[in-house]
Amino acid sequence: MLSILGQMVFRRRFSLMWWSLSLIAVDALYVLAYPPLRNNASLDKTFSNLSPSTQTLLGLSDGTLITSPVGYLNSQFYANVLPIVLLIFAVGLATWAVAGDEAAGTLELLLANPVSRVRVAAGRIAAMLAMLLALTLVCGGALAAMAPLVALNEGLPLYRIITATVASALLALVFAALAFTIGAATGRRGTAIAVSVTVAVFGYILEGVAQQVGFLHPVRLLNPWHWMLSSDPLGHGGSWQAFVLPLVVSAVLFALGAIRFASRDLR
Amino acid sequence: MSEAAITTSKLTKRFGTLTAVSELDLDVMPGEVVGFLGPNGAGKTTTIRMLLGFLNPSSGSCRVLGSSPSRDVALRRRIGYLPGDLKVDPTMTGHELFDWFGTLRGGVDRRRVDELVERLGLDPGRPFGALSKGNRQKVGLVQAFQHDPDVLVLDEPTSGLDPLVQREFMRLVREAVARGTAVLFSSHILPAVERIASRIAIIRTGKLVAVSTVGELLDKARRRLELHFAEPVSTAIFDGVPGVVEVEVEGQIAQIVIDGPVGPALGAATEKATLLRINNVGDDLEDLFVSLYDGSGHEVEEEQ
Repeated sequence: MLSILGQMVFRRRFSLMWWSLSLIAVDALYVLAYPPLRNNASLDKTFSNLSPSTQTLLGLSDGTLITSPVGYLNSQFYANVLPIVLLIFAVGLATWAVAGDEAAGTLELLLANPVSRVRVAAGRIAAMLAMLLALTLVCGGALAAMAPLVALNEGLPLYRIITATVASALLALVFAALAFTIGAATGRRGTAIAVSVTVAVFGYILEGVAQQVGFLHPVRLLNPWHWMLSSDPLGHGGSWQAFVLPLVVSAVLFALGAIRFASRDLR
Repeated sequence: MSEAAITTSKLTKRFGTLTAVSELDLDVMPGEVVGFLGPNGAGKTTTIRMLLGFLNPSSGSCRVLGSSPSRDVALRRRIGYLPGDLKVDPTMTGHELFDWFGTLRGGVDRRRVDELVERLGLDPGRPFGALSKGNRQKVGLVQAFQHDPDVLVLDEPTSGLDPLVQREFMRLVREAVARGTAVLFSSHILPAVERIASRIAIIRTGKLVAVSTVGELLDKARRRLELHFAEPVSTAIFDGVPGVVEVEVEGQIAQIVIDGPVGPALGAATEKATLLRINNVGDDLEDLFVSLYDGSGHEVEEEQ
């Protein structure tokens, strides 16, 4: 399994480096943009007049001001941009893990070796997790390191920046796990990407709409976006829903995909 | 003789309503090369993919070295596989691939890899994507031979190789056979396997139409001769000559196809005209092969 994991990480070392550098640059941009925004009191009025559903989508619940570090980072980064960026990264890896490699025709030659399909799947899931974790720590770490420069940590413990980044990554992981499962079970790369991204977008929209539409309330409990946004990992530290539930759901999805992959025909 | 290294019995693969392989029975013994021939789309690759465990048979079964390829993962340490359509990560170099696969197979034999690389004339430091078709094929061959497997499954191995490398490749196959390796060698053209295979299995639309030794096939093969005469001739000189089944004349040149001994036809040609020269156009199995391919080879099939 280690050689499968190592091989996948090694082949993507440059890609991982570029993703890391890009996210550090994104962190820096947020840090640079904060000082002028902090002193703009009219922004707080504008945002506090928004509908509650929009405020939830922006991570501004409970009267959090957009000019505060938590309000700023939630509304501009953690509630939308970061999960989506990490989702693109993770879905790409998860889709490649079986379906992408299979579609490229390169998986078959590997499977002619004495490695079981489950081992290949497990090694690649582990590689994806390792790379997602690395990117998460780089992104969270860089932001935590730069935040004090512009007092972006006022009333915000720095470790929360790390845990909130991890929560975003876990949200992305659920959709990546879905992409893996569909790809591993069907060998169809396009289907895996289309379905997982659609479900992610659907969940995001649903989280905004469901607050005002009564009959949608129960559905929210199934929505990974709700698990994260409702527990506000940055402002309030999050809950088991934001950290444990995504891991459990992802593990189940990974297992289902690997089991189906182990017995089906290759395409 | 010892037990067969590859055995299929009533091996069948259906994709929806299409039957790609139908009730295929085939054995390959240790130390034997079986040429697996058929036109493109006949079911060769589907059969091979079942032998490697990539596809599950719809019915029937296949065994390699006594175990089921789709269940016994460790078995693959003893198989060398060259796919018909070789794909490798374009950024990966030959050496990276050989090291990786060697590790997966329980250890890299560097000396063997270096020997193969040198004999085939491959630059193993270049990424796969930067290699020509022939050189890519060499990468595929090295990884198939590097662990000296007991079974070699080669899908169109000579495609893209220049004649010199083809000869070296044939030497590699002969060496493997001498060590007792069983080789299934697929091709859509006959000359590729004619000289190396002890037996030929011909598959058409998923069914085996013939399995026999090259010698047996040659006996059944019709011979195509090109006769050059001193003067223009007519087809009439071969009228009623036993064994002549086809005559085409163009001026001083006649092309005849003979079933059985060539004596009577040559006798007629020397008696009724001035025969200058004979070109042996189709002494190989190509004609028989073509007749089996297009479905007109029932005669041969029935004689099996």
